[in-house]
Amino acid sequence: MGKLTVDQLEPGMTVASDVHDRTGRFLLGAGTELTQKHLMVFRTWGIGEVDIVGAAGGETLLPLPPEVTREQLEAAEHSLSHLFRLSNMDHPAIALLFRLAALRKAGHVPS
Amino acid sequence: MSLPDHPAVTLEWLVDKTRTVYSLPFFYERLSETISHPRSSIADIAKIITEDQGLTARLLRLANSPMFGYYSKVDSITKAVTIIGTQQLRDLALASSVMDVFKGIPEDLINMGDFWRHSIACGIVARSFATCLRENNVESYFVAGILHDVGQLILCTAVPDIAAKLLKRSREQEELYFLTERQELGFDHAELGGALLHAWKIPPNIYEPVSFHHFPYNETSSYSFEAAVIHVADIICQAFQWGASGECFVPPLDEHAWDRLGLPASMLNSILKQSEPQIEETFAILVEDR
Repeated sequence: MGKLTVDQLEPGMTVASDVHDRTGRFLLGAGTELTQKHLMVFRTWGIGEVDIVGAAGGETLLPLPPEVTREQLEAAEHSLSHLFRLSNMDHPAIALLFRLAALRKAGHVPS
Repeated sequence: MSLPDHPAVTLEWLVDKTRTVYSLPFFYERLSETISHPRSSIADIAKIITEDQGLTARLLRLANSPMFGYYSKVDSITKAVTIIGTQQLRDLALASSVMDVFKGIPEDLINMGDFWRHSIACGIVARSFATCLRENNVESYFVAGILHDVGQLILCTAVPDIAAKLLKRSREQEELYFLTERQELGFDHAELGGALLHAWKIPPNIYEPVSFHHFPYNETSSYSFEAAVIHVADIICQAFQWGASGECFVPPLDEHAWDRLGLPASMLNSILKQSEPQIEETFAILVEDR
């Protein structure tokens, strides 16, 4: 089991642990199979991540979108490395920011 | 770097020097007083705002921009006051007034378009965070974001030769601009900007986040949460190179500040998606069409 962002969720996936909103309100119990309606509810209540049965854990960085190749991403990351060289890249938020900025530079428009 | 010509470049001296040249329009003071007065009506407040036609037009365009989501239905200042709120409108008027104050300063050190684009982007990202965290007055985050680097403008206008040396040195030595300032002056643009806003009697929920945006973990401030939001928003705008300030690197993220927001890193993407489309339009309203 592992955490997936709301954008990565699909109907039919099974929730691995209870989902609460930011104030702690219970939204969905462990073991529920997701439907399209659940995805909408998650967005409405600002849920960022959900624990999913069978998802590869640890992949909090975004998956590579189809229109960006691995080489393009690496080139973009290389050109941004100077800008980021004094930041703390080991922090997950900065690492994600770096990836997002690189995807943007490689021509990916977020949907 | 020695500064023989300026033996006494202190924070207080810079604030005093700036205050003698630039002052907030009397208009803002009157608006602020009217809003604080318990017996003021919305009509009183609207009357003062409409005396400034430029501000009236900008506030109406802002109220109708996607940031508020009322889709062109706000057609009078009275309506804007009702919908946006009096405190919020005062904060927006403040941002607009400060931008007016620094209009037309020499651009050989700092490109004002880039500077305000960075500042406005920071305000919008901070506002998105505040909205997402269900904070009460999201406009105060917007305004603190817009004003967070105002200290850099003070340096560029009051002591341009020193500002030039500092900018040059931080680029040559490849160090963070606010650390160069701290080493050479003993303070940075964040503290300086906060001190000027304080001297102008701006409320602390605006000037404290400005003062502490590079060191948001501060036990003496009642607004360290606001400072944490501005800190993160500034880093995001730096990472995406939305506009530009004197800083040419992405500053390190303060872990405590990040933890205080209590958001998973994955929220960054939705904050960005929400913020980015608003930047150009808000920039056009606040900067271009003046």
